[in-house]
Amino acid sequence: MPIGEVQPSVRPARVGRTDGAAGAATRRGVARSRRGRGMRSERLAPYVLLAPAVLIIVLLRLYPLLLGVNFSFTGDGERNGVAVGLDNYLELLRDPLFRTALGNVGLLVLLLPVAVAIPGLLATFIYLRVPGHRLYRSVYFFPAVLSPVIVGAIFNLLLAFDGPVNAVLGSVGVGAVDWLGDPDVAMFVVVGVHVWATFGMGLVVFLAGFATLDSALLDAARVDGASLPQVIWHVIVPGLSRTIQFVFVTTMIGMLTSMFGLLYVMTSGGPEGSTYLPEYYIWIQQGQMNRPALASAASTVLFVIMLVVGLLQIKLLKRAAREV
Amino acid sequence: MSRIRPGRWLVAIPMALLALATVYPLLFTANVAMKTRRDYILDRFSLTDALRWENISTAWTSVGMGRYFVNSLLVVTVSVGLLLLFGSMAGFALSQLRFRGSTAIFLGCLAGLFVPFQVIMVPLARIMADTGLVDTYPGLVLVYVAQFLPFTVFLMTSYYRTIPPEIVDAARIDGNSVYGVYRRIMLPLGIPALLSVGILNALFCWNDVLMSLVMMPSAEHRTLMVGVTSLRGQYSDDIPTFASGVLIAAIPVLVVYLFLQRQIADGVAAGATKG
Repeated sequence: MPIGEVQPSVRPARVGRTDGAAGAATRRGVARSRRGRGMRSERLAPYVLLAPAVLIIVLLRLYPLLLGVNFSFTGDGERNGVAVGLDNYLELLRDPLFRTALGNVGLLVLLLPVAVAIPGLLATFIYLRVPGHRLYRSVYFFPAVLSPVIVGAIFNLLLAFDGPVNAVLGSVGVGAVDWLGDPDVAMFVVVGVHVWATFGMGLVVFLAGFATLDSALLDAARVDGASLPQVIWHVIVPGLSRTIQFVFVTTMIGMLTSMFGLLYVMTSGGPEGSTYLPEYYIWIQQGQMNRPALASAASTVLFVIMLVVGLLQIKLLKRAAREV
Repeated sequence: MSRIRPGRWLVAIPMALLALATVYPLLFTANVAMKTRRDYILDRFSLTDALRWENISTAWTSVGMGRYFVNSLLVVTVSVGLLLLFGSMAGFALSQLRFRGSTAIFLGCLAGLFVPFQVIMVPLARIMADTGLVDTYPGLVLVYVAQFLPFTVFLMTSYYRTIPPEIVDAARIDGNSVYGVYRRIMLPLGIPALLSVGILNALFCWNDVLMSLVMMPSAEHRTLMVGVTSLRGQYSDDIPTFASGVLIAAIPVLVVYLFLQRQIADGVAAGATKG
């Protein structure tokens, strides 16, 4: 579809010029001039078809983004609507909860390679047809369709202090772990559950990438006697660089924007505020603390983080792909 | 060939264990839902001695999961219907019609993809409050449609691009208006994509908790996932009822997945490869 070309949709059709090269546009013209009367409504048709989508996206997605940024420079409560400059942002920086939230984002970035490598490796094995590969694809993807709330509730049950996981640990002589009550442990548990729930997404994307991989390269590597790690590093990684890049970005965005349900159900940000993420902080400030302007500032920070993460990863991976 | 094969059982065994770890938590929950409280406290892991549906019916009626279930079903159905309608209309226009501003409009829709709900939560809540749509079903539907429309438009546009323009031209020559082409040609031809995108959107809407939590404060308007979150405080000492509530929320998704996993996985993959 010629997005680049912008042409008026109706071209006057010249009689006797319907030779092949004139192509679709002329034939459309013929059809239209034959009808004649509906011309005006026909010309408007694309806009009519697009109107609902454009109105909704502009009014309820793009406009609120601007509104929110604008909001973040005004005050809350008594100073409602008054311009306060950077006050909200300074308050964010001073707020230990928001600092924890940012620190946890850093932790997510550090754990990101693991969260990408797991589905990547599993997809590789499935692609290389380990026994049972057909079954694994559908089993592994299954938790990805469950709501984070359901996943969180299930793991709440399993990881309760007097719950089944600790019962199993106790029966083999390991002391009970306070999975969701220990500030040093809880965030790792929540991230672990998130990875458990979503690695199937990455897996499916990787498998779609493998479908585009030239299998002749793999065969050549095999004939040359390459080991599995060599095949992965020299054939699969460069061949799938676009897919890997995509999974990196979507996994990070998933970590930043779809862990609310888990946090809400599993820890409510605790213990001691150790499992805050920006999205949870925004929700607390907006819904519970009645600080919409402060929440807007946090939203703007989250948006900037997402932009930076997206751009940075694309850049880094492009460079890495060139060096391999 | 053989150089890659050695140790494939070394790989296969962890993969089988992982598969088990993937399905076990839900099976455990289903088993607990069938137990009595006493049975659960005595032995968490033993298989239930009978299929008891009392816990499920308690969760459905007195906990209110039935009510929330109907709320969710209503909101999800209307949202997905509107998403498919608006998404296919826009996708058809963007892929097959020539008009001024098409590039700008396509990029604008695409930009919507990069605005997550968390980022616009505060202003959106205010807009909904100002227009009186907060705590109403149309309000939540509108928020869902706005959330998932960019993705829907994007996928429908890339799908409709694969349809040769000659088909549209032929239909035009037969005397169809643009709207006629949409209704008689594009909608029927788009069914595979509409099915795939529709299932994905239904899952997204059904599974949402944050938007529903922000937009539907009153208890009788709760959607099912918000209902699940409310189980935690109330039923934390009645684990079988808790598990039953979770199961009620998971079963529809489970059924959809069993029958339509191909479409779901293809939809996710299509979103990736066309991006």
